[in-house]
Amino acid sequence: MNTRWIYILILLTIGIPIGFKLALPPARMPVAEKLFSVVDNVSNEKGVAFVAFDYGPGTSAENLPQSQVILEHLFRKRVPVFIFSLTPISEPFLRSVPEDVAKQLEKETGESWQYGKDWVNVGYRPGGGLFIQTLAKSPNIPEFLGKDVKGAPLSSYPISTRVSTIKDISFLGEFTGLVGMFQTYVQYFQADGYVPIFGHGCTSITIPEAYIYLDSGQLNGLLEGLAGAAWYSDLLRDKYKDREPDRALVSNTALGVAQLVVLGLVVLGNIVGWKQRR
Amino acid sequence: METATVVFAGIGTLAIFSFLIKENPFYRFFEHLFIGVAAGLLPILTIRNLLYPNVIGPLIGADIQVFPDGEIANPYNYWNLLFIIPLIFGLFYYAVFIPKVSWLSRLVIGISLGYSAGLSIKGFFAEMIPQVLGSFKPLVVPGSIGDSVNNSIFVITLLLVMYYFFCTFKGESTAHNGARYTGRLLLMVCFGAFFGSTVMARMALLVERIQFLVGEWWTAIF
Repeated sequence: MNTRWIYILILLTIGIPIGFKLALPPARMPVAEKLFSVVDNVSNEKGVAFVAFDYGPGTSAENLPQSQVILEHLFRKRVPVFIFSLTPISEPFLRSVPEDVAKQLEKETGESWQYGKDWVNVGYRPGGGLFIQTLAKSPNIPEFLGKDVKGAPLSSYPISTRVSTIKDISFLGEFTGLVGMFQTYVQYFQADGYVPIFGHGCTSITIPEAYIYLDSGQLNGLLEGLAGAAWYSDLLRDKYKDREPDRALVSNTALGVAQLVVLGLVVLGNIVGWKQRR
Repeated sequence: METATVVFAGIGTLAIFSFLIKENPFYRFFEHLFIGVAAGLLPILTIRNLLYPNVIGPLIGADIQVFPDGEIANPYNYWNLLFIIPLIFGLFYYAVFIPKVSWLSRLVIGISLGYSAGLSIKGFFAEMIPQVLGSFKPLVVPGSIGDSVNNSIFVITLLLVMYYFFCTFKGESTAHNGARYTGRLLLMVCFGAFFGSTVMARMALLVERIQFLVGEWWTAIF
């Protein structure tokens, strides 16, 4: 059989739900639900959240919707967020994601979210584990980070008054598809026995690996690929009734249908192969 | 500019997908373009995001803000001149290309290896100890059959897989061979899960690209 027929079939399978914006209800993802309740309980009275976008265009298909829903949840709860990355190629996302989320929320609620007060973009930070360890042990985190991505001193923003040490970081979120990146945070984002509540968004490839950390309690919640983001998005819609459905639900529908077709093709291929061998 | 970017990105995506029909010059051109961009991007990002703001900028005083009336926000910090020391030390890496002074590069490599090793040891314990502790699970959880079954499966799988890797000697015993065989089967189940999730991840990439073509790209063109 010409394999091009399979490509056309997959193209149609994915293209039709996207073209017609078909959105089936996503499947329940218990660990994404756990992350939702963890983020929902983060206090906005004091402290800040640190969110790392350690992804580039290669895994943005899964990591982008994940970071959008988590940031949206933190913004809705008015938890100030420091956004940064250990990967240089994430730079465009560090800028666009919070701006887009803020715009969408402003349109929906009429309230405003301001740069410097509700979030700050610390940009790409080199050094990997060494940077994370120094940040975690720093007695004055804004002073250690120095400047934001625009070159302005972090101390000039109101958000900086809410954090000095790692103990003021109430939530750490990290999104990546890179091997070993997420482990850097598990290993070094801690000081004096304090570890912030940790939520992680992984790509589908790394789901089995991430589960180990969830099981050992090193992770407090997990977004499993696109499906995790879609379920989280659905939970947000349940809680905030005026929220418009986002792209994650349509993508998840297309993904689910395509997976079923692949599964069907695998079964069909095995049956044909088995018959030919007889 | 943004529209042009979207249109060009869409053309690039279609060019790469055209390989599914057959090898063609359109695909080949964009493949080489991508390799060139990827190779050029990293040095630029390193200079722009790492070297200039952290070393060169403070060294030449480019981070000093001057207000419209000519007043300077902060004077030049002469301590920044100390950046020259690590800068020169880092440049010793390139001494590897000059045979007479190539020993200088070993100083930098030695320090890098030393701190990496120290950092890794600390990281290993911080990562692994909670996992070792987490593997001690009660086989019987009062009032929860589900948890008891889950924990039992976890512990049995853990022991059998460890047995498969550690007990690699040849044995005639049925129990020994059975345990190793079962451990291997359980590993296969794990690899199957990895394979399934890999297919899902690749499919998610395709979904995103088609969403981009059907959404942003189509809108930008028409």
